[in-house]
Amino acid sequence: MTTAMATDVNAAARRGSLKKSRRWALIWSYVFLAIFAGFFLLPPIYMFITSLKTSAEISAATNPWWVFNPTLDNYKALLTSKEFLIFFRNSTVVSVCVVIITMIVSILAAFSLARMKFWGSATLATGVFLTYLVPDTLLFIPLFKIFAWLHEVTDIQFINRWWMLIILYPTLTVPFCTWIMIGYFASIPKELDEAAIMDGASYMQVLTRIFIPVALPGIIAATIFAFTVSWAQFLYPLAFTTSTDQLMLPVGIVTTLIKGDVFNWGQIMTGALLGALPPLVIYAFLMDYYIAGLTAGATKG
Amino acid sequence: MPQGAAIASARGRRTGSSLSKAAKRRSTIAFLMALPLIVLITALVLYPAGYALHLSTLNKSMEEFVGFENFEYLFERETFWMVVWQSCIFAITAVIFKALIGFIVAHIVHNIPLKGQRKWRGMLLVPWVIPPAMSTLAWLWLFDSSYSAFNWLIEGVGGPRIPWLGETGWARFSIILVNVWYGAPFFMIMYLAALKSVPEQLYEAAAIDGAGWWQRMWFITLPMMRNIIAITVLFSTIVTFSNFDIVRVLTAGGPIDTTHVFATYAFKLGIEASDIPLGAAVSLFMFPLLALAAIVILRDVSRRGNQT
Amino acid sequence: MMSSKLSRRRLMARGAAATAAGFAGFHVSGAHAAGKLSVGLWDHWVPGANNTMNELCKEWADREKVDLQIDYITTIGQKHQLTVAAEAAARAGHDLMIFTGWAASDHARLLEPVDDIMADLVKSNGAPNRTAEYLGKVNGKWVAVPWAVMSALKPPCSRIDLMKQHAGIDVQAMYPAGSAPKADNWTWDTFLVAAEKCAKAGVPFGLPISQFGDSVDWVGALFQAYGAQLVNSKGEIIVKSDAVKQVLEYGKKLVQWLPNDVFSWDDAANNRWLISGKGALIMNPPSSWAVAVRDAPQIGSQLWTHGMPAGPKGRYAPFTSNFAGVWTFAKNKSAAKSLLRHLSSPAAVEKLVAASQGYDIPSFANLTTFKTWAEVGPPKGTLYHYPNPHNHQIASIAAAPAPPRIANQIYVQGVMPKMIARITQGGESIDKCLDWAQKELQGFKRA
Repeated sequence: MTTAMATDVNAAARRGSLKKSRRWALIWSYVFLAIFAGFFLLPPIYMFITSLKTSAEISAATNPWWVFNPTLDNYKALLTSKEFLIFFRNSTVVSVCVVIITMIVSILAAFSLARMKFWGSATLATGVFLTYLVPDTLLFIPLFKIFAWLHEVTDIQFINRWWMLIILYPTLTVPFCTWIMIGYFASIPKELDEAAIMDGASYMQVLTRIFIPVALPGIIAATIFAFTVSWAQFLYPLAFTTSTDQLMLPVGIVTTLIKGDVFNWGQIMTGALLGALPPLVIYAFLMDYYIAGLTAGATKG
Repeated sequence: MPQGAAIASARGRRTGSSLSKAAKRRSTIAFLMALPLIVLITALVLYPAGYALHLSTLNKSMEEFVGFENFEYLFERETFWMVVWQSCIFAITAVIFKALIGFIVAHIVHNIPLKGQRKWRGMLLVPWVIPPAMSTLAWLWLFDSSYSAFNWLIEGVGGPRIPWLGETGWARFSIILVNVWYGAPFFMIMYLAALKSVPEQLYEAAAIDGAGWWQRMWFITLPMMRNIIAITVLFSTIVTFSNFDIVRVLTAGGPIDTTHVFATYAFKLGIEASDIPLGAAVSLFMFPLLALAAIVILRDVSRRGNQT
Repeated sequence: MMSSKLSRRRLMARGAAATAAGFAGFHVSGAHAAGKLSVGLWDHWVPGANNTMNELCKEWADREKVDLQIDYITTIGQKHQLTVAAEAAARAGHDLMIFTGWAASDHARLLEPVDDIMADLVKSNGAPNRTAEYLGKVNGKWVAVPWAVMSALKPPCSRIDLMKQHAGIDVQAMYPAGSAPKADNWTWDTFLVAAEKCAKAGVPFGLPISQFGDSVDWVGALFQAYGAQLVNSKGEIIVKSDAVKQVLEYGKKLVQWLPNDVFSWDDAANNRWLISGKGALIMNPPSSWAVAVRDAPQIGSQLWTHGMPAGPKGRYAPFTSNFAGVWTFAKNKSAAKSLLRHLSSPAAVEKLVAASQGYDIPSFANLTTFKTWAEVGPPKGTLYHYPNPHNHQIASIAAAPAPPRIANQIYVQGVMPKMIARITQGGESIDKCLDWAQKELQGFKRA
């Protein structure tokens, strides 16, 4: 393309104006980006400002956008509080376990739905997505009933146990992840696994030796999605856990730092910011994979 | 027929039947692999959903079967139709804005030099990373009538005191704003991923043909992104229709019920007013409609997926 | 535990201690000869109050040799309602559970009658007030025991300085600490004038007109003061009455002097209104005062909690009562009942009230004069009139005396504040608003 154009006399001028208009486009791009970033970052910035204030300064109704007596007390209070660290631990353990369970279930299911097919597999693939239509606002009552029944039968207490959420959360993560993985697996050339089967490999070997390595970006994408969802869940832990040592981070922050009609704003904001850190760190590291993974999965799904 | 099959299998134990046997084995393994998914969905979604459906056919004290009476009751209520209408405004407006903002931002980020992209992407994703239960509280604090930081700025330049959550128009605007703020980054990241997957050669070819910006957008970008747009919009519509946190925390349905959506109204009736069957009926009302839309879209997407 | 004067530092220290330690769960494991008991109690809004509850429970568990598990259930995010609904639906959960007033009568079928306990408590604690009876007695049987913890009145909490300066009302003279109120002139009409004067002076009253509890409570008391019932005790809809029209007219006049966003205020918004110094009066339990003392002491020391204004049909004060009940599906009913008795004794209740810094209001006649209320400050005596010690107002829950089944719906759906909002913010005529209410109320009759 360039060589063909270079011979043209007008091309130089045209390229000059092109370059100029490109520069303007770039400047406008940055202007718009700054506007959108401003909109997106305004609440977090305000949270940060508030997190540096004492309760007295927050109550004083002075300039809300400025900190007159900055203090790290809110951070210190939370990071040294046994409760907060327990919330953090619970959330971390649950999220990690949920990610692992989600990935195992959805990779196996996606492999079978995308490649092997069985009676009803097409319906199942669509049906999986429809589970998001069942609103969780009321789902918790029948679930409560199931757990009460399980308690009767097995004598294991499920309600008010944080690990029980490890069983529950996958219902929220598995459908979307399965669907990402189906799309990803479908894009792998059929010849690859057919050849392997011919050579006597088992389906498990095909999955672990070929599909998983090739689909790694997709797996990472699904992992991140599952982590974010289980990290942010609110309603299930609210309904199923009660004792302070069983709570997840968001529920713990909200229920221990709001006392009836009294909000401990400084610490709530601090908790929200600290709670956003783990997913943010994960995104920062895996973002490029994430984008690559979503691309292949989503467009093919 | 069994005789024939027996003969066939007897005759071709080596050749013919091993194929069908392999196929059978194959589908058994496939089924086993999908089994965890099936169990999970059945036990923790399908059964409870069926139970919720059953609940919606009981009377208030949950002792008598009343069929569709709960739905009939709701259909006579002015408030219920208000909630239907408001949920639609809320979900549709929010999804449109999320999709638009996500699309625009994804384009801009895609077009700036590669080395800056990472930084901008990170910043623009922040709203999606903060657990919404807590970020909504931050918004509540920004909207608060005594301490509103927005009103402080507006009053600082001599503007009026805005009732962010206290007046129907403003309250609807505010809850949609918060939902868009929280959801737009998800669209952005999905679209950005799709944009990256459009082969650069297509644009180069179009540029040689003298295609303008609009033509490239219309004939290349949009068709290439069609699936991802469809699925993101579908996913987001479903999730937005069942949104609970934002309305619950910011207005709890007020003023005069003009910001209630399905989930908050169902919660109000079902849990707070202890009429669980009625609450179940409210929350199941949208199911058939959304399911239909979902099936149509998903089938369309998977059909096109198979073609490529 | 209780000092005559809670200094600011102590309040702060208490708050910090509660956030740092204080598990909202407590387990007493003894020889448990008498089996296991699991109870769900309120997670008290007042920092540190759970600790006193823990001590009282431990005392009982050690004596009775019961393996006791306490879960403190928060009201945040409607957690408590979720739990009650789920346990009732699943027929499983805690043995002993706390209820809001409406929840107890709603779940009457699933609650063990407690007439025996109540008979003894009446002897030791005095007669229960009529709100407690209205909510806790179903078909002549007590289904749950009135529970002081987090039961509260929501009377006015005023700024002494602003009320004097702008409205010419000396609230301390009207409700002097330690003696009977001299408040004959304190009527809703005086209140309206004061609201206007304060609004014009730039410190409007902070009264929510939304569907949250604080709002329903004060509007309910206003309706009662005008004798405006929506549904009478027989369950007949009588919303289209002159009294209702009259109270709506009054509401219309009052709303113009309130801030423009009160229509979606939550239960915390009025506290913030007072603490930020923007308003001269709110109606709330003393939690707002306690926070003001901690975070904005110059405002906190100017606050005075006092009685409600009177209307043509009497002086009503908004009261929300809680209950503790034993599920019929409880595993250890006798232990649960024994604990109920232990925690309802006058001595235990006095300790609990002290731990709540006076927030809790017991429903029994002999338990409204503990020294806690007379002594806390600053300013000293600010809570003296909070528990209604001279009985000069009628403590009542909104929507009473309609049958609880219907009243619950009126309360939860905030019909009364909504009516005021419709004719003011919504711009509806009073007649149209009454038509709407009529239809809404008919729907509440469903069984």
